[in-house]
Amino acid sequence: MERSFKEEVEKLKLGDGEVFHGEGILAVTKALLQSGVAYVGGYQGAPVSHMMDVLNDARDIMDELGIHIETNASEAGAAAMLSASINYPVRGCVTFKSIVGTNVASDALSNLASAGVKGGAVIVLGEDYGEGASIIQERSHAFAMKSQMWLLDPRPNLPKIVDSVEKAFQLSEASNTPVLLELRIRACHVQGSFATRNNRAAPVSRRHVLENPDFDYSRICLPPATYAQEKHKIEVRWPAAVKFIRDHRLNETFAGDADDVGIICQGGMYNVTIRSLQQLGLADAFGKSRVPIYCMNVTYPMIPEEVSGFCEGKRAVLVVEEGQPAYIEDAVHAILRRADNTSTKIYGKTGDNDHAGAMQADTRVLPLAGEYTGETVLAGMAQFVARSAPKGVDAAGALKTFEALVAPKKRALELLGGPVPARPPGFCVGCPERPVFSAMKLVERELGAYHVSADIGCHTFSTLPPFNIGNTVLGYGLGMASNSAVNTMFGKRTVTIMGDGGFWHNGLTSGIANTVFNKDDGILVIMKNGYSSATGTQELPSSPQHSDHKSDDMGIERTLTGLGVGWMKTVDNYKVGEVAKTLSEAMTSDYKGLKVIIAESECQLEKQRKLRPVNAGKLASGERLVRVKYGVDEDTCTGDHSCIRLSGCPTLTVKDNPDPLRRDPVATVIDGCVGCGLCGENAHAAVLCPSFYRAEVVQNPTGWDRFIARVRSAITGFFMPTEAARS
Amino acid sequence: MSTELPTRSISVLIAALGGEGGGVMADWLVEAATQCGLPVQATSIPGVAQRTGATTYYLEIFPARRDTLGGREPVMSLTPNPGNVDIMISSEFMEAGRAMQNGYVSPDRTTLIASTHRIYSTGEKMQMGDGRFDSAKVYEAARQLARRAVLFDMREIAQANGTVINAVLFGAMAGSGALPLPRAACEAAIRSGGRGAEASLRGFAAGFDLASAAAKPAPATPDKPVLDVLALGEARLVDYQGPAYAKLYRERMQPFLGLDARLAEETGRHLALWMSFEDIIRVADLKTRAARFARVRKESRAGDNEPLVIVDYLKPGIEEFASLLPPALGRRLVDWAEKSGRMHAYNIGMHVRTTTVLGYLMVRSLAWLKPWRPHTYRYHVEQQHIDAWLGRIREAARRDTALALEIAECATLIKGYSDTHRRGMANFLALMDALVDNPATADPREQAAAIARARQAALADPEGKALSSTLGTPLANGKPVFWLAKSP
Repeated sequence: MERSFKEEVEKLKLGDGEVFHGEGILAVTKALLQSGVAYVGGYQGAPVSHMMDVLNDARDIMDELGIHIETNASEAGAAAMLSASINYPVRGCVTFKSIVGTNVASDALSNLASAGVKGGAVIVLGEDYGEGASIIQERSHAFAMKSQMWLLDPRPNLPKIVDSVEKAFQLSEASNTPVLLELRIRACHVQGSFATRNNRAAPVSRRHVLENPDFDYSRICLPPATYAQEKHKIEVRWPAAVKFIRDHRLNETFAGDADDVGIICQGGMYNVTIRSLQQLGLADAFGKSRVPIYCMNVTYPMIPEEVSGFCEGKRAVLVVEEGQPAYIEDAVHAILRRADNTSTKIYGKTGDNDHAGAMQADTRVLPLAGEYTGETVLAGMAQFVARSAPKGVDAAGALKTFEALVAPKKRALELLGGPVPARPPGFCVGCPERPVFSAMKLVERELGAYHVSADIGCHTFSTLPPFNIGNTVLGYGLGMASNSAVNTMFGKRTVTIMGDGGFWHNGLTSGIANTVFNKDDGILVIMKNGYSSATGTQELPSSPQHSDHKSDDMGIERTLTGLGVGWMKTVDNYKVGEVAKTLSEAMTSDYKGLKVIIAESECQLEKQRKLRPVNAGKLASGERLVRVKYGVDEDTCTGDHSCIRLSGCPTLTVKDNPDPLRRDPVATVIDGCVGCGLCGENAHAAVLCPSFYRAEVVQNPTGWDRFIARVRSAITGFFMPTEAARS
Repeated sequence: MSTELPTRSISVLIAALGGEGGGVMADWLVEAATQCGLPVQATSIPGVAQRTGATTYYLEIFPARRDTLGGREPVMSLTPNPGNVDIMISSEFMEAGRAMQNGYVSPDRTTLIASTHRIYSTGEKMQMGDGRFDSAKVYEAARQLARRAVLFDMREIAQANGTVINAVLFGAMAGSGALPLPRAACEAAIRSGGRGAEASLRGFAAGFDLASAAAKPAPATPDKPVLDVLALGEARLVDYQGPAYAKLYRERMQPFLGLDARLAEETGRHLALWMSFEDIIRVADLKTRAARFARVRKESRAGDNEPLVIVDYLKPGIEEFASLLPPALGRRLVDWAEKSGRMHAYNIGMHVRTTTVLGYLMVRSLAWLKPWRPHTYRYHVEQQHIDAWLGRIREAARRDTALALEIAECATLIKGYSDTHRRGMANFLALMDALVDNPATADPREQAAAIARARQAALADPEGKALSSTLGTPLANGKPVFWLAKSP
């Protein structure tokens, strides 16, 4: 695994009266133990990977508390595991990234929500939305609405988040409904502190086992029970939830003196809302705002009386709701209509319709779509203040303040003369996936362009420069399935990429088994680097080594053989020429049916993690060690950078041309090169240029090493031109 | 609002790239602030940083001890806001540019601490020419936009101290005086991190000293010395082939000496480069020089007592072999290889250990063919092209200096080896044919502008898409179009 969580595991042991310092998602993990959870599962993915990672490293504490930890096969598997809480009074929690994880889990979630739960069931959603997100941009809110699960979106500080976990379990039990706890990416990674309580062992757990299975037909998802379940949701569970939320004051109202206006915000938007008020001089450092705020720590269901009560007597209310569609803002409109409140003007991301039905643009102060960053909310808040003119506030001053705050940004663009170069993520130094795409580029040169169905994983970086390989991305493990129709539309074969993570997630069944079953002709490249690398190098069934609590020896090759894949070749990724040859062979082979190329080479992050201490030990103990670094001869490099366009390695870059007559920068290999050899292999496979060399530095040389080096140096020195040694 | 308490938090935004320890620096800050009893909050979006992308870490520190707040908690933001950043840290210079572009550096508030070294983005380094963003613009923006700018090469300082850049940045931050934390607390935080603390503390101290010395921003780019192109060219060609060849260079330059100085300089520069074309003899010569071995030793950081083996990646084929043959033979071989599509069919991939006796002699023996060079096919072809190009420049110079200069600059298209070289040459010839030999306009300025556009287009993409659309398709009359992909 990418990180060890030894230190964090210790924090999970803190008890009454102690203080936890750390990250948001680890605070949630601790909160689960304090809430007496009996089982935890999930599927890795930023920003919630750490929850599963730290629990896997905390096996001893879990054993002590009798908590079952499971790394599920997929988010669907994780959600399905919550079925333990349907019949039995046990608290369970699963986590995954959203929206994508929730999409995958939705089948199980629908069934779970319909059946209802006896024990608290909580789903922690890591919202990968906005800056740094690696996935499609959609809201989790819709899932809560369609299945009637409750959605918590707490204010992003550790005490509030931790309290929300406990409240989520209580709410779930009070309303027999699964609860979603939504945490945005920055909230998952926020560093803060909270006062801890003792961990609680669950009354029923793998240490205190059940004796009798419970059978209750009303909890089976089959008609006629499903009809009753739908009614039960609306008639019993929903009102119970509303009562719990109201009675326990899960939503918060903050008073202010400019109370002819107000702000309604999602809990997760509270801090950014306060910051914008602070910058406009309308709130102090401790969040005391002049404008009253209704902060919705529960965003679904909404509590109509609370909303209409807050709006009563206010001329204008701003709704700060991130994401679209504007479910909350629309609901506020509906609630006020039902409450017969026609005097409060709602500002936000949508506009009011006037009597003629035309959109009144002056209520739209925030963008409909996209992340609500500090600047976005600041701009919207300034507009709201200017347009709604809260009593006792310099309304026009708000816009002036805003303009002054963003003036340097405008000036910067002038001074820089244009946007600075983008720097998207890419393959790591020495990544074994990069050479496969170099080879694919070379095949493209030989055979012409071909359609590539890409998949989710580090390998999706192939779609970025310099490779720009991959025509579609349809979801995790779905590369092969997404290729099934497009494959038939080309005279030339198409290629599918799948990682070993996607293979086990669902690619094996949805893609490979189905392709074989339908006798489809296709080419599949499986990136077998041994781990779920993009999410933090977690173990997979086919990882080269496993923790004690995992089964060994679940090979991809044997699985494919078992499925009846008749054409399968394993290649060494770094041998670019061979990979290209194998791919060309697959493209042109007479074999009809699925052709699988397994591109096998261990994730370089993991490899280096293991290698570094071994090498350091050897160096320290005086053992002979050859260090390899690649380089470019600056006097034969002509500065065309073909090599960079075929590699994209962070350590293969450019520098000023040392030749006074040349202007274009030359290629160079900087420190950090791990000696994977791709640049040399590319130079060979693409017949690029003779400038690449491999330097093998013999550290702790033996007497023989030194002797032979002296002999070589003496003889070659004799032939070496002396007058040429000028630079 | 309480009068004696600070009215707002100190906000710190750290822009870093993966592997630079930005997260560790955030941890140090949290630790130091916590030890000082100050409320602190940090957050990040580390997902992309670990995979080489640019990312940020954002912290807020409330500059009053928690025990003086009467139980109140400051509300801190999780995202930086424009006009609200007190300390902006950039571990790389273009990230400082990005910070300013995003509005995170304001003249009334922000101390900008940035390392001036560059780590080029893929978009910059993959260009066929020089795609690097001009650092001077970032310097100027920093000078104008920051309340105070602390700019120096922190990577260099880190390397000199055997540590990572985050330690130097942390030191510079503490040394700048903008941080509400005493030096001792920062150092204690580093120490509590454990492993590597001593090296980090050295880096911290170096950064602290440089920042507290109120260093002025270094000048953007040192003034380039005026080159004596002719002398450099002559020396290069003496080294390349001998005095007679250098004399040919001088003779070729003769007609230009009385003309516009810039035209003469650029023509002389390109001519010297073109005349020292990189054939197999040249490459072998450069690879077997003492200076080259010394350079590799330095670049690979091999110690004096550490033997070094250099493996060269060479893959000669028909093209390289033909280039050494007499003109008539060489031409026939190349024609045959092109027609039959076997130009790369017989390339031999070699890993030559140039530091061994046999490997060295094998490569050096090719360099010994230097006296034979004037009798080779490649030499013959290059001289023909050079003379034609010089003729075009002279011809144009009679009409317009700017036009002549544009034609001279086109020599920059010819570079590289093998396919890259052939693609460059084909682009060059297509451009000469369409815009110099058969121009669509009689106006020299228009013609010069068209040439400049086409040259940029030729350098825009290796597939030649931009060039062919600039020149108009189909490309120049019947000439082989090497840069288009072959059909299967």
